Amino acid sequence: MIEFFRNVFAMIELELRRMRHDRTEFYSRAVQPILWLAVYGPIMSTVRAIPTGNIPYIDFITPGVLIQSTTFIAIFYGITIVWERESGILKKLLVTPASRFALVIGRAMASGPRALFQVIIIVPIALLLGVKFIPNPAYFSLALVIIFFSSGGFAAISILIASLLKTRERFMGIGQALTMPLFFASNALYPVKMMPLFLQYISRVNPMSYVVDAVRGLMITGDLSNILIDIVAIAIFDAVMFTLASVNFKKIVE
Amino acid sequence: MDLAVDVKQLVKTYGKVKALDGVDLQVEAGKVFALLGPNGAGKTTLMRILTTQFKPTSGEAFVFGQDVAKKSSQVRKMIGYIPQEMSVWTDVSGYENLLIYAKIYGIPSGQRDATIKDVLKIMGLTEFENNLVKNYSGGMIRRLEIACTMLIKPKLLFLDEPTIGLDPSARKTVWERLTSFKDEYGATIFFNTHYMDEADQHSDQIAIINAGKIVKLGTAKELKQSIGGEVILFSIDNSISEDVLDKVRKLKSVSDIIANHSEIRVVVKNSETTLPKVIDVLRSCGINVSKISITKPTLDDVFLKYAGTRLEAEGRIGDITQVRRMIKRG
Repeated sequence: MIEFFRNVFAMIELELRRMRHDRTEFYSRAVQPILWLAVYGPIMSTVRAIPTGNIPYIDFITPGVLIQSTTFIAIFYGITIVWERESGILKKLLVTPASRFALVIGRAMASGPRALFQVIIIVPIALLLGVKFIPNPAYFSLALVIIFFSSGGFAAISILIASLLKTRERFMGIGQALTMPLFFASNALYPVKMMPLFLQYISRVNPMSYVVDAVRGLMITGDLSNILIDIVAIAIFDAVMFTLASVNFKKIVE
Repeated sequence: MDLAVDVKQLVKTYGKVKALDGVDLQVEAGKVFALLGPNGAGKTTLMRILTTQFKPTSGEAFVFGQDVAKKSSQVRKMIGYIPQEMSVWTDVSGYENLLIYAKIYGIPSGQRDATIKDVLKIMGLTEFENNLVKNYSGGMIRRLEIACTMLIKPKLLFLDEPTIGLDPSARKTVWERLTSFKDEYGATIFFNTHYMDEADQHSDQIAIINAGKIVKLGTAKELKQSIGGEVILFSIDNSISEDVLDKVRKLKSVSDIIANHSEIRVVVKNSETTLPKVIDVLRSCGINVSKISITKPTLDDVFLKYAGTRLEAEGRIGDITQVRRMIKRG
């Protein structure tokens, strides 16, 4: 068990060290969320077509845009795994005493620091745009923990895809095909109640909806009535994805 | 005799293709063992089964007495492995690569730094430890990979094409370092290669693998002796028919003949007396000989004889170099 955590932490540390050496990716990744918040947000809020309760529309979508951004980073994290497959790193890692589960969960959780970096970029921009966050450090920290663990689950999906598809091009294709539906079939940009019925059902099994709901409650609205369900849903999602990705992982190098 | 590797009737099939077709092999502990073979002969497949990456279709393989299929985690604690492509992260420094591997291998935190400094020194990388690996040369990357495996002082080190795509001086350095690695830890080394000279110079024992089977096993000297006394190499202008080959083969003092496109190798006991007879036969059959040379048998001849093909290394090296370059770019 100690061994397991040591390996997971080693993988996270590797990612942090990588991030220290090359930060360009973060800045390019920040462009899209800024557009959503600074362009889409103000325009849609003048239309006043979307009922967001008593909070401004930009405030409403800030958690959605944030989670969209962290989720996309996690989903494209698998590209690293494809790269490591093309080089010999995965073969080498499989020959170390580390267990497959530790390797997969470690690699998946290593997307966490990258996801959290988005918070550092997006939150100040949202503040500049006048978004009001709940000034509660405990709430904010819990939101960060939720973002960290949920990106682990999304990265596990991406490792699973990487182990099935094996080439960069195919991976990019599936990644694109997966991320936008996840985003639009969630409560990131509009309340679930506004969606057509079939989308509401999809939204209910879309893990992104639970993450957005939890983070929106903790950062913006203070409405924590669903937080327990959200956390349980994310935990189940992580457990299932970690298991599927680990079981499939050996296939990646065959 | 302590066996580092013991392989019994190992078979691995991919669909209908038999990558390994009943391999039997034993490697003594403390030896340097070379596995020679053309592309697709099964070298890499065999190594990947021995390093527990996947299971054989049938047959058994043991590393220091442990079954690689059933006791894979015990086996992984004893072995080091360097894949053909590249097994380090290029976007962090050499030191950081070693640090991450040290953590994965579970080296206690108090000993990590000293161990890392130690292996960096043995591999001659101390002054580059803080450089990003993407700025390393091919030879330095290989040495860093060897350093990574040295962290746990493995009893057995597997190297898949250790010097592929490296220039001669880098190859030399890599082998010097590997030799000091072996001397330092008394490890067994098992490597795949297509460089004849490398197998010749650095190994205690060589196995030639072709089409999934071990076709010949022995020391470099034994293998060369198994060919016979001398090799006469004829370069010919036109192709040669089986009939002519048979006529040459029937000559009394000819012990073997190996034809390959425009080259014929005739193995003889004594070239001085046999050469004129062979020339007579070739002339009478209308074969135009453009060049003749006489050599002692090399491993190349051995290979040609037992594997029935030359090691077509060039295309392959090109591929690998390209892969490595791509990987370095990220």
